[in-house]
Amino acid sequence: MTTDYGHDLVFGTFVTPANRPVHQAVEQAVVADRAGLDLVTFQDHPYIAKFHDTSTLLAYAAARTERIHLSANVTNLPLRPPAVLARAIATLDLLSGGRIELGIGAGAFWDGVAGMGGPRRTPGESIEALEEAIAIIRGIWDTDDPGVLAVRGKHYTVHGAKRGPAPAHPVGIWVGAYKPRILRLVGRAADGWLPSIQYLPNGLPDLTEMNRHIDEAALAAGREPGGIRRFLNIGGHFTTQGRGFLQGPPSQWAEELADVALTYGTSGFILASDDATLTETFAAEVAPAVRELVETARRTHGHE
Amino acid sequence: MSSYGHPVRFGVEILGGAGAPGDAVSLAVLADQLGYDLVSFADGVEEGDADPLTLAAWSAARTSTVQVGASRLRATARPASIIARGAGSLQLLSQGRAMVMLGAGTPAVDLDAVEESVAVIRSLHDTARRSRASHSGTYHRLSGAEPGPSLEQEVPLWVHASDAAGAGLAGRVADGWTVDLAEVDLGGLETLSAVVDGAATDAGRDPREVRRAVTVTGPAALDADALVAMVVDHGMSLFVLRADGAAAGVSQMRTFIEDVAPAVRDGAERALPPGALTSRRLRRADVRARRRPDIAYDEVPEDLVEMAVEPGDAAFGKVRSTYLRGGNPGLVLRPRSEAEVADALGFARQHRHLPLGIRSGGHGISGRSTNDGGLVIDVGALDDITVLDQAARLVRIGPGARWRDVAKVLQPHGWALSSGDYGGVGVGGLATAGGIGFLNRKHGLTIDHLRAVEVVLADGTLVRASGTENSELFWAVRGAGANFGVAVAFEFVVDEVDEVGWAQLAFQAPDPAAYLEAFGRVVADLPRETTPFLILGQGMAQVMAMVDSSDPAVIISQLQPFVDIAPLVQQQVVIAPYAAVMNMFPEAPHDGRGEPASRSALVREITPGFAAASADLIRSGVSHWYQIRTVGGAVADVASDATAYAHRDTRFALTVMGGNAQRLDQWFEPVRRHSEGLYLSFESDRSPDRIADAFPPATLARLRRLKAQLDPHNLFQDNFNIAPTQDDTRSAS
Ligand SMILES: Cc1cc2nc3c(=O)[nH]c(=O)nc-3n(C[C@H](O)[C@H](O)[C@H](O)COP(=O)(O)OP(=O)(O)OC[C@H]3O[C@@H](n4cnc5c(N)ncnc54)[C@H](O)[C@@H]3O)c2cc1C
Repeated sequence: MTTDYGHDLVFGTFVTPANRPVHQAVEQAVVADRAGLDLVTFQDHPYIAKFHDTSTLLAYAAARTERIHLSANVTNLPLRPPAVLARAIATLDLLSGGRIELGIGAGAFWDGVAGMGGPRRTPGESIEALEEAIAIIRGIWDTDDPGVLAVRGKHYTVHGAKRGPAPAHPVGIWVGAYKPRILRLVGRAADGWLPSIQYLPNGLPDLTEMNRHIDEAALAAGREPGGIRRFLNIGGHFTTQGRGFLQGPPSQWAEELADVALTYGTSGFILASDDATLTETFAAEVAPAVRELVETARRTHGHE
Repeated sequence: MSSYGHPVRFGVEILGGAGAPGDAVSLAVLADQLGYDLVSFADGVEEGDADPLTLAAWSAARTSTVQVGASRLRATARPASIIARGAGSLQLLSQGRAMVMLGAGTPAVDLDAVEESVAVIRSLHDTARRSRASHSGTYHRLSGAEPGPSLEQEVPLWVHASDAAGAGLAGRVADGWTVDLAEVDLGGLETLSAVVDGAATDAGRDPREVRRAVTVTGPAALDADALVAMVVDHGMSLFVLRADGAAAGVSQMRTFIEDVAPAVRDGAERALPPGALTSRRLRRADVRARRRPDIAYDEVPEDLVEMAVEPGDAAFGKVRSTYLRGGNPGLVLRPRSEAEVADALGFARQHRHLPLGIRSGGHGISGRSTNDGGLVIDVGALDDITVLDQAARLVRIGPGARWRDVAKVLQPHGWALSSGDYGGVGVGGLATAGGIGFLNRKHGLTIDHLRAVEVVLADGTLVRASGTENSELFWAVRGAGANFGVAVAFEFVVDEVDEVGWAQLAFQAPDPAAYLEAFGRVVADLPRETTPFLILGQGMAQVMAMVDSSDPAVIISQLQPFVDIAPLVQQQVVIAPYAAVMNMFPEAPHDGRGEPASRSALVREITPGFAAASADLIRSGVSHWYQIRTVGGAVADVASDATAYAHRDTRFALTVMGGNAQRLDQWFEPVRRHSEGLYLSFESDRSPDRIADAFPPATLARLRRLKAQLDPHNLFQDNFNIAPTQDDTRSAS
């Protein structure tokens, strides 16, 4: 079975937001930018004291890079009030000339969240809250809508909040999700899906079923499944001899990732890397080769 | 009239910039270029403005000297814990330029949120306490949150208030109070100032703890005389121009900093008594409350004030402990020059009743470079590494440099200086004791490369010691340096070292005694190029060896004998620069806990008796670390009386560490009986017997005489203290 939503491929990195050495994460973003990657992302775990505050880091790193897009991977919603989050993202998108995306999650590590003064939510509540938040965020950004912004949710309520600022480009809302209920939310309301390979219980084949939940929910909501980009956070290292998935030479990686792209419709590969050489090799030797393989396959199968 | 002694500064407050945050940050960049002290972004996030914290973080990346922050920050719009982490990151990334001005609106309900925010932010930034942070408030809660990040300087927290309630809050808790001249008139300013003072005093604070800022705009901003009056009459020390992006705003920004600011500074200086605006930093009362008894904190010499760390300071968490030892000193002085070292020693001489630790890299085991309630002089800032003479390979190195950095600097020259096995160790402690490193059998100890050293003595004088000047001190520094002064610079002749062979081999060693004896036999015939360090555990032996050769054939042939004595279970052999080996482990802040129990023994041969006692020790389980560094070779080429490191003829340096000193000793004593002495750097026992183990009688007598001469009152006691010969001074330990 093959799935392909026909998106251009994007490649990025997933950088640990360590706050020591202080500028290490920023330097890794600069490396990814210079290497020509499309995206650099950082986790957001405000309860971990040895990590930078992700929104501060994103702003600082955006100011030190030129072309690359940046995103949290993924924003911890329960500790980031949605209206302020929306304005912060829009502010940075304007400053950076449209290079910011919004990776967001319903939250996890509830002890950590509660320890920092955030709400402790059940899985169901956290998904509800995320859906309300997405509505608020989109409402804040939508300065063309003359109507009053009103969302009366169980978790978040805004009434008559001023809209704006509007971001410089259509910021993608990408949700980290695995279970059916939240995958359906992705299908209804998100622009992208951002899972990590190591959290797929049975590995890559799980993507098929997960995609199905997203696609069905999208269709039910009157949206195109193709409107939702499928990302994948991956990890690996380069070795001369092949030893397994993403453990081998760049040519092996390219074939494996092209296969993932064509089988599961994944069009964004985000590599966990705090290492300049790993990032540079990924950018120089893997990304173009995957693009070429996918293009060739699409041509032979008649897609455009 | 009331001046609080704060130097006058100038800032600019930039308004929201809803549609054009780009213009807002351009103003910040301009402010930086124009020499403003502060730029802040006013929070209008609830009115649809840009996010001030995002603007501040972006601006921090595009500016270099100006302080950056958010002002009128809404204390209810974001969790205070998130403000704390954000401000913390901003402080780290901007290298200490962050500030937060919280806005206290008029409704009293907001004030509680501000007060709670201050408490939450402070407790999350308080990493020295080492406990999780909790706070139960109406607006902001923490329950068992991990404190952090650990900062060099606290982020100043100001409160913006235009009414008495807000001013009272500022006086009670804030580092500064800001008021907007658009919101109050001069009379109001006077009244509110008094409220701030009164509230501060009532809270047990000194009103000088609260800095004062006024926000000005329009023609008022250009009236230098009026601003001078505010300095002189109300103690205002920060004038913030409220600016928007309009062209008129930009030109006003220039005028304000270029014309008004100098006029105000001048006018204030003329109007106030000389020196009135330069008084030293005053810590908050709650910070001062954590001071220890018997330290004259307010008499710390002026040049040391900025870098000094007290128990209540943000940086204390990073400096209290060392790599292996938990500590809780009363004051850490961090001099940046020889002169400052001398001043620090002057201060220490006035505190002889307290322990004094000298710290360079913080990897001391014998050296008590931290303590409880005493002083620490940390020379970590003296970390320059300079090549003095390329042809002679003469390199000058500060005591605060780490060996990993030394190796990195030497590598491009094709040089190396044998140090130890761990790149994080500091130069100061190791180069005053010995330096048993991975190249010692070929190139000798670290101290054998020393040609000159500069030392600040107990009386504060700076002396240079070498083979020709102060040669007795030069002799003593090489092995017992910690007793004689603070070394502030070392000059070494380093070795030409190409890439080296670096091996990590693991063997089965079910019979530790048999393995040890076999290891001893191999080492007896081992060429000098190879220096192996052995870690022996229950059932396993690990050999880490450096071969000073980049020739694979030489490397293999010199390692082969180890492979012949025990079954190899794991191996990694690479050819790499010495610097790569020294940089295997990254730097992390020191956070030692408790007290290390470490024992050292030097032996000539691995005799059956030594091996058997060692095997018993290993099997007892009281030690988690049994390591032998091989010495000998070039180390033994140096005469035993040439340096204070005298045990030149021993070939094995044993270190064992355990969790409990008493239990360790029970098993270590039998091992010690087979030893010829010890290497002081690995011995944490402070009993007087150990002094004799470290220094043979002739060496010790000579050291005592010199000690009596240079440090008769025994200021330097923190590391294998040698009592001066006169017996009217205090004895060791
Ligand atoms: C992980 C580890 C590995 C080690 N490996 C080796 C090794 O392979 N070979 C080896 O020889 N040693 C080794 N050591 C021991 C090390 O050399 C000593 O502990 C040394 O004192 C550490 O130096 P420092 O500057 O980092 O320590 P600090 O803790 O800063 O200082 C320790 C003591 O040295 C003295 N001292 C420090 N600075 C000065 C100065 N500027 N002037 C005068 N005296 C000063 C003081 O008495 C102080 O108490 C190791 C230690 C550790 C913790």
